[in-house]
Amino acid sequence: MTTFIELLLGGLSIGSVYALIALGFVVIFKATEVVNFAHASLLLAGGYVTAVLHDDIGFWPALGVGIAGAAVVGSAVEFFVMRRYRGSDQSVLAIVTIGVDILLTTELVRRMGTDVMSLGDPWGDDVVTIGGVTLAETRIAAFLVAGLLITVFLLAFRFTSWGVSMRAAAENPQTAALMGIRLGRVSLSAWAVAGALAAVAALFLTVFPTPGLERATSLAALKAFPAAILGGLDSTTGALVGGLLVGVTESLATGYQSDLSFLGRGIGDLAPYLVMVVVLLVRPAGLFGTKELSRV
Amino acid sequence: MTTAPAALTVRDVTVRFAGLTALDAVSFTVEPGSVHAVIGPNGAGKSTTFNVLSGVYRATSGSVHLGSTELTGLAPHRIADLGVARTFQNLALPPHATVAESLMLGRHRLTRAGFLASGLRLPSATREAHRHLERVREIAAFIGLEKELDFPAGALPYGKQKLVELGRALCMEPEVLLLDEPIAGMTADERRRTAAVVAGVRDSLGISIVMVEHDMGVVMRLADAVTVLDFGRRIAGGTPAEVQNDPAVVQAYLGAQE
Amino acid sequence: MSEATKDAVAPAPAGATTTPAGESLTARLRRPAPYLWLAGSVLLLLLPFYLDRFWLQAGLFAMAAAIGAIGLNLLTGSTGQLSMGHAFFLAVGAYGYCILGGESSTENGHAVTGLGLPTWLAAVLAVLLAGAVGGLFSPIAGRLSGAYLGIATLALIFIGQHVLFNAGSLTGGFNGRPVPPLSLFGFTFDDAEVVVAAVPFQSSEKLWYLALAALLVSGLFARGVLRGRPGRALNAIRDHRIAAGVMGVPVARYRAGVFVLSSMYAGLAGVLLALVFQRTVPEYFGMILSLEYLAMIVIGGLGSVAGAVIGAAFVSLLPQVLTHYSDSLPLVSAPGTGGIAPGEASRYLYGAAVVAVVLFLPGGIARLKTPGEKKK
Repeated sequence: MTTFIELLLGGLSIGSVYALIALGFVVIFKATEVVNFAHASLLLAGGYVTAVLHDDIGFWPALGVGIAGAAVVGSAVEFFVMRRYRGSDQSVLAIVTIGVDILLTTELVRRMGTDVMSLGDPWGDDVVTIGGVTLAETRIAAFLVAGLLITVFLLAFRFTSWGVSMRAAAENPQTAALMGIRLGRVSLSAWAVAGALAAVAALFLTVFPTPGLERATSLAALKAFPAAILGGLDSTTGALVGGLLVGVTESLATGYQSDLSFLGRGIGDLAPYLVMVVVLLVRPAGLFGTKELSRV
Repeated sequence: MTTAPAALTVRDVTVRFAGLTALDAVSFTVEPGSVHAVIGPNGAGKSTTFNVLSGVYRATSGSVHLGSTELTGLAPHRIADLGVARTFQNLALPPHATVAESLMLGRHRLTRAGFLASGLRLPSATREAHRHLERVREIAAFIGLEKELDFPAGALPYGKQKLVELGRALCMEPEVLLLDEPIAGMTADERRRTAAVVAGVRDSLGISIVMVEHDMGVVMRLADAVTVLDFGRRIAGGTPAEVQNDPAVVQAYLGAQE
Repeated sequence: MSEATKDAVAPAPAGATTTPAGESLTARLRRPAPYLWLAGSVLLLLLPFYLDRFWLQAGLFAMAAAIGAIGLNLLTGSTGQLSMGHAFFLAVGAYGYCILGGESSTENGHAVTGLGLPTWLAAVLAVLLAGAVGGLFSPIAGRLSGAYLGIATLALIFIGQHVLFNAGSLTGGFNGRPVPPLSLFGFTFDDAEVVVAAVPFQSSEKLWYLALAALLVSGLFARGVLRGRPGRALNAIRDHRIAAGVMGVPVARYRAGVFVLSSMYAGLAGVLLALVFQRTVPEYFGMILSLEYLAMIVIGGLGSVAGAVIGAAFVSLLPQVLTHYSDSLPLVSAPGTGGIAPGEASRYLYGAAVVAVVLFLPGGIARLKTPGEKKK
């Protein structure tokens, strides 16, 4: 039973990190209707900056620079690439982000090589035991930080004028523009925020028990995509629920792997995608996504 | 078309989404071979009605029948198979395809060549294409587009593009033709021509036509019957003359009387 | 369209395409396009007599990629259904061929099973298998579009990788499987030397003509589909989905159908790739491969068969060219030494090409010369 609770809590923790990534992804989609396939490489960029700098300037400043760096990269992509597209075809824009992803990933992977880079986090290998249940400190920190950021973000999205502009632009760009909302600013801030959230997520994807930042980290980040989809691409609640669902599924599947060995090794990594497929069969627009009600 | 044309009956159709009631128990009947205009101020529910008739929206309650066949709840392509064709307010024409190609899309439900036959260029597919291209030429000539068949649709003036859209719907050999603002945005010449085409379609082809239109002159001249919508409800109906003088209609368009 | 007559050419309306109907024979003979095609075809037929194995392999690789790209183009370019799962179906084709046509054997202590069917039959069945698996996915492929479909197809990649690495007795695990050479009408496309016109033919030379034939058939078939009734329906689904349904096109059925067709193209490409590499390894069929195919069709031009071929040639030949000339190119160097490896350099280039094409050359390379020409 303790194993189950540990796995569940661990799953919620990693799930909150996935939710953080998925949230950034959904924010870009809501604000600009663009599906950002370069999101995993934004995450990698943020993590890379932190990893490279922490030895010189200390962990917290490095993290700050990493977050800022990822935000800058995201904004740069929006400003120099996405904004330049003069057409209106959404699938083409998605493919542009794939091109950006290829470029970013190649560059980062080349710099990282086969190294595994530590981010110098302060929690290290420490664990905490409460009532017979053992949890890594990093997992607790991940859950708390992610939870805090998500709450702050959702509140801001709901109640601040920035959030209102973002939702208005998502709802109907032309009307929003007529009402004085600067669409360029909305897009830029969406990409910047997404980058920043991804950088924080990068931190928690690379601390204990994983050895550090490496090429495979972007594969882990990729799991936020099925999380966002099964939650519903245009729903922030969906990103949250999807992330947690994916995290818990992965944790349980990996934890009980020996019992599930007939399904093959690494079933934990595959489980999020299977869950997504099952959800899509029943709800093609995701759990909380709005079904297309197009205007003709 | 050898079967006797059927009436299009709309009974108590209600459409509700996201807390909004777009249509509230709307009923009307389109007699076979007549032109039936649906008018009303902006936001009255005219486009919603069309979307329900063509199967794009699902009615929350009520029914639509073509003769004795029920159309409610059917997928759009099934409704098309039953003989309902429709044009779109915002033109659904691919700009780079030629007029002929766009018109040929209208023949889809009447042709059968699939992936295998087309890919292998089987004689059956080629013969079918030739036959239907001939029919497309006939229809194009009927509406006056025979000279523009090889132009890309995007290169034509707006009025002609709307005519292509109309022609494509005609290529489906429908029993009922739904025209969504067929005259909006046209020059006076184009209006006259299109109105003549619409009248010609009713007279020589015997197709029932349902028309959303804002131009009162055209409605008065062409329509055999009119349904007036306001705020999703049917507030008046009858011949154009009756509707024109109906105080409820006047109020809807001009606001409350002093 | 009616055939050429000896009448004078009808004046072409401005902005429209020229119709073949009514064009005189002499006018047709004066157009450069047929001569280019002829010259190009002769060149392609003669290349195995002059090129060495390295370049023949590169060319074979490009032809297989072109077949795959044509398939992906039908799905994503012409119908607007974004799929990131193409590599999965390539794997189904490649591994399917090995399992169906290979013999059961043991390699380094690992046993792999094979059905030992005649290899030509194995190839055909592998393609059909890819289509069947695509058909299994149709509840998703038919109902979803856009990013939802894109990411759902990503699941296929990971499912594929999982199966390839784990089902060791079928797939050979991370070692992969050797590929049985193809035998057709008693002729085997293997390395046993056959001398033709004083030139020794090995597997690459023999496969060259097979690949050319396969590419030709694939291309013509796709063209036929796109120019005919299905192509119109597919384009309508891409351009105006609602209007397509209203005009009688059963949208979900066509989406599922083109997904199956695209999977079969990928299956065929997979079989060819297996024959060229002579070994299948699971790592190859990952997400990056799918992204490469998407890059191919965007760079070449979405919706165009010729574009798919051009894009495939560009993306697949790039690393070969860079590897071969890495000594004389600045920055690019052999893997291991400093500088950029050819594989990475080519990724930079085609990643940048995707962005550049979308922003500055909408319509891709295939539509460079005539912006007003109708889409094929």
